[in-house]
Amino acid sequence: MSLAESHTRPKRRVGWGLQGLGGTLPAVIFLIAFFVLPLVDNTINSFENDGSAAAIDNYVRLFTDSYYIEVIARTLWVSLLSTLICIVLGYPIAYYLVRHTEGSGAFLIFLLVAPLMTSIIMRTYGWQILLARNGPISNWLLDFGLIDRPLATLRSPVSVYFGVVHILVPYMVISIASVLQSVDRRLEEAALILGASRWRAFWRVTLPLSTAGIVTGSIIVFMLCNGSFLTMLLLGNGSVVTLPLLIYQQFILVNDAGFAATMGNVLLFLALACLYLQLRTVRGRGHV
Amino acid sequence: MSGSHSVRRPDLGLIALKVYVVAFFAFLMAPIVVVVIYSFSDMAYTTWPITDLSLRWYQRMLEYRPFMSSLAFSLQVAVAAAVLSILIGVPAALALARSGSRYAEAVMTFLLAPLSMPMILLGVALLYYLSWMGLGVSKLSVVLGHTVVSLPYIIRTVAAVYIQSGRSQEEAATILGAGRWQVFWHVTLPMVRAGILAGAIFAMLISLDNLPISFFFAGPDTNTLPVVMLAYQQNQFDPAIAAISTTQTVIAVIMLLIVQRLTGLHHIIGQKR
Repeated sequence: MSLAESHTRPKRRVGWGLQGLGGTLPAVIFLIAFFVLPLVDNTINSFENDGSAAAIDNYVRLFTDSYYIEVIARTLWVSLLSTLICIVLGYPIAYYLVRHTEGSGAFLIFLLVAPLMTSIIMRTYGWQILLARNGPISNWLLDFGLIDRPLATLRSPVSVYFGVVHILVPYMVISIASVLQSVDRRLEEAALILGASRWRAFWRVTLPLSTAGIVTGSIIVFMLCNGSFLTMLLLGNGSVVTLPLLIYQQFILVNDAGFAATMGNVLLFLALACLYLQLRTVRGRGHV
Repeated sequence: MSGSHSVRRPDLGLIALKVYVVAFFAFLMAPIVVVVIYSFSDMAYTTWPITDLSLRWYQRMLEYRPFMSSLAFSLQVAVAAAVLSILIGVPAALALARSGSRYAEAVMTFLLAPLSMPMILLGVALLYYLSWMGLGVSKLSVVLGHTVVSLPYIIRTVAAVYIQSGRSQEEAATILGAGRWQVFWHVTLPMVRAGILAGAIFAMLISLDNLPISFFFAGPDTNTLPVVMLAYQQNQFDPAIAAISTTQTVIAVIMLLIVQRLTGLHHIIGQKR
């Protein structure tokens, strides 16, 4: 969104809040009190322990114990792989939505957004039913002779990817579609007229012009995936332990506040890094 | 148009794309549809295939007190957080949309930042912080936590609508002698009303589905619906969870249709998170 240019601004007050940022004060104060300070408090907590060890003991423990290093690496890996799957699955849909829908566009967008209106618990429950050993997918595959014993998907990381991609792929499609929309299709037509094949025109013209959408979509998906734990909890059955899930488990089982705060701080660092990248890519394109 | 290509032979690429689009939307709808179907089943467990249909799980849902009481609490929290977000978010959005300040962009980024934070981190941090403040596990704590997340949605939709609407009407009203408050009540507010409502409904949907913050504040009278559903799902695997999920979805779809009627979906999905 473009913020009003200051030269053309009338000197006289017109309307509400034209003159400055005074109106933002209540919201800014609220977020400092209930968003920034809790995170600062969390950082302070992360340096606290029973007093017998050094202040950075929690961090030493997190970054030297191979179990925790594995958890952090797995968190990043699951997010990365999920992001790649979302790009591959989502790009053709975004392309179709922008280039090939005449009457059905609104309906498809509704279908795309509709899952966002269902609870994550509901969708996870749906996958539990679909992927169960004696569930519909397993039964059909058995009936058609494609597999010879019931699926064990629900006990493996595969089901986590089903759940995560299902939740996040609409964000990717929306991000890519919004950029594709502004790509002039005449450029693609020019390439075709000049003798490029369909594929070549796509690879050399359309795809490069839409990378901005892929990048913003990827940052959003990666960021959301880093923070999600419900899918890992309900579909992973312990096979995919990521940072958020570990925080949840620590809180329920051990209630080690200092260590939970330390893991939370690592998540915070990842989130801030993503936010920074997001701001940089967005600013690079000249609009907020 | 690549007319010369498609005239000569059937466009295999486009056919493949269409088949994929159908498969993709089947993937997207499958887990939702299957839960809706199961909510009408007559079996004690979620087994396949379904043989008989019944409404027994809806009856069970209505009779299971935690579902109903937590749904009521969730709705209260969603409304309270939305109202609080409107009160502090609308002035912020209006100011930011028209401010010439070079800090406007930075302030907007800050106000939208909660969207980028992992919710579970916010939940843990808020629990210890609010406990330290003496609020601890209370209804107020849940509302405050949900407001942190609702606020950005209100600010984003209202600012977007206000920027689009231009300033000529307000200028006209001022030239014709309207005072500041008159301009606000009779010109500005009606212009952004749809944005406020759309943002509020969207924020309420997010709040109704929020587990990671609510989870940390769960107590005897602060259980939200997702918290109760998670506990139920971990202990029982019967289709009552399907019935309450379907009910929740119906509520959400009705709200979404209201948003679409008021503003068109593009206001919400056209913007980046």
